[in-house]
Amino acid sequence: MVKLLDSIGLKSVNFGYIKGKKIIKNIDIDINIKDITCIIGPNGSGKTTLGKLMMGILRPDSGEIYLVGEDIAEMSLGQIGRKIGYLFQNPEKQFFSNTVEDEIKFIPEIKGLDKKYIEEKTALLLDLFQLNHIKNSFPLKLSQGEKQRLALAAILVNEPGYLILDEPTKGLDVERRKVLVQVLKKLHGEGIGMTVITHDYAFIDQISDRILKMHEGEIVEDKRNER
Amino acid sequence: MIYPIEVNDLYYKYEGNLREILNGVNLKVVEGEAVAIVGLSGCGKSTLLYNICGIIPHIYKGEARGQVKIWGKNILDMKLPEIATKVGIVFQDPDTQLFSPTVENEIAFGPENLCVAREEIGLRIERVLKIVNMEKYRLENPNSLSGGQKQLIAIASVLAMETEILLFDEILSQIDHEGKIKIREVIKELKGEGKTIVLIEHDLDNLQIADRVLQLKDGKLEEFKDGETVGLNRA
Ligand SMILES: Nc1ncnc2c1ncn2[C@@H]1O[C@H](COP(=O)(O)OP(=O)(O)OP(=O)(O)O)[C@@H](O)[C@H]1O
Ligand SMILES: Nc1ncnc2c1ncn2[C@@H]1O[C@H](COP(=O)(O)OP(=O)(O)OP(=O)(O)O)[C@@H](O)[C@H]1O
Ligand SMILES: [Mg+2]
Ligand SMILES: [Mg+2]
Repeated sequence: MVKLLDSIGLKSVNFGYIKGKKIIKNIDIDINIKDITCIIGPNGSGKTTLGKLMMGILRPDSGEIYLVGEDIAEMSLGQIGRKIGYLFQNPEKQFFSNTVEDEIKFIPEIKGLDKKYIEEKTALLLDLFQLNHIKNSFPLKLSQGEKQRLALAAILVNEPGYLILDEPTKGLDVERRKVLVQVLKKLHGEGIGMTVITHDYAFIDQISDRILKMHEGEIVEDKRNER
Repeated sequence: MIYPIEVNDLYYKYEGNLREILNGVNLKVVEGEAVAIVGLSGCGKSTLLYNICGIIPHIYKGEARGQVKIWGKNILDMKLPEIATKVGIVFQDPDTQLFSPTVENEIAFGPENLCVAREEIGLRIERVLKIVNMEKYRLENPNSLSGGQKQLIAIASVLAMETEILLFDEILSQIDHEGKIKIREVIKELKGEGKTIVLIEHDLDNLQIADRVLQLKDGKLEEFKDGETVGLNRA
């Protein structure tokens, strides 16, 4: 297989959570890292599973996954995480800080980034996602939509080069959804591509370059969206 | 007149918070009515439902003033198990609701606590799993379901309790297109059977099933006016 340098490539990927029950069935696909690629499909069709395989959170039973030419089997989660920002479908399970503000600052601080830079970037994101009035709140006590906005902010603060977002518009009202579309379009304009898993057709229409449809562990449709 | 749900001048502030989330809420819902509540994220919609199903003040503390009545009875004079025989709530986050080792146990849990006969419980499990199209998953662990499947099982579990009052907190957020259409139909049928329903929604498509739409804003409920200003999404 040609290891494309501008794509995430899946080569004959198979996966099951339990033996004898395949959830991902022999998927072969190249996802251009500059595109906004949306993955759609019914509940239980394997969208989240596929996203977790691309992110290295799950490892395939057979087949290979390449991240811009590099086999992710040879990369640690940390190495992948420095390249890709990943939004879980239920992001609150990942929260561990005592305040909203600290949740955003945590990773950049571990990385030892410049303090002033972190302060500025955090302030910007608190503002952008309208979290300022609750910046001292305990993340697990936030409303559902607030949790979703915090999770997005905590990912974007790391300035990832690629994003995998699982149901990013879940729980967002129209105002906040507009903000998210603007943010993602701006990032896309800066050359950052993303894979977005979603049931939100209006959102797909606004944002996608390519739409992949899954059904029972297979990709059954692959089309471009002319925006 | 006695209402299935009556809220009078309700104020509520979470413990440790400075601002009041609910700031004089009034609501009367008549039997067989479906009322939708819209409003920006974080404005207190879930908090209001917690007040109606007794989670506030029975589980969450904080400062509450005003009155919530279920069929004319003050919620403060009712214990949670008694409220549960009358009010069923599907939470916004299914993970907070599901805890049993199998889907079947999960659905049986509510009716068992209401002392429903064993045979009847079996029938209900079959019926509600069929409604949400999850018959195949009867013996699975709810933890190993997809996000949307969890939401479907959370809905099924509450339907199995057959309470007269149903509270739905954005229950379609992770459900696929066909599933959404199906559940909307189910809600219409429940209304037809005389159930009283309060649902929270961001999506305009899902509001069509409501008889009335109210907007929660600045801690108060008001008549819904403009779809653009209250945070509605047109799918
Ligand atoms: N941890 C797990 N253990 C066992 N089976 C699982 C696990 N997680 C998911 N599954 C099963 O794998 C299948 C695919 O799940 P996945 O979460 O990828 O679906 P999805 O397309 O993201 O669905 P949704 O739209 O509901 O989020 C489902 O049948 C689900 O029951
Ligand atoms: N247990 C809690 N302790 C303290 N504050 C809380 C708690 N639960 C919620 N809040 C705060 O109360 C406000 C209202 O929350 P609520 O969950 O009722 O909002 P909502 O309207 O349901 O929002 P969403 O549409 O995002 O679900 C939020 O700002 C939230 O941060
Ligand atoms: Mg999923
Ligand atoms: Mg809520």
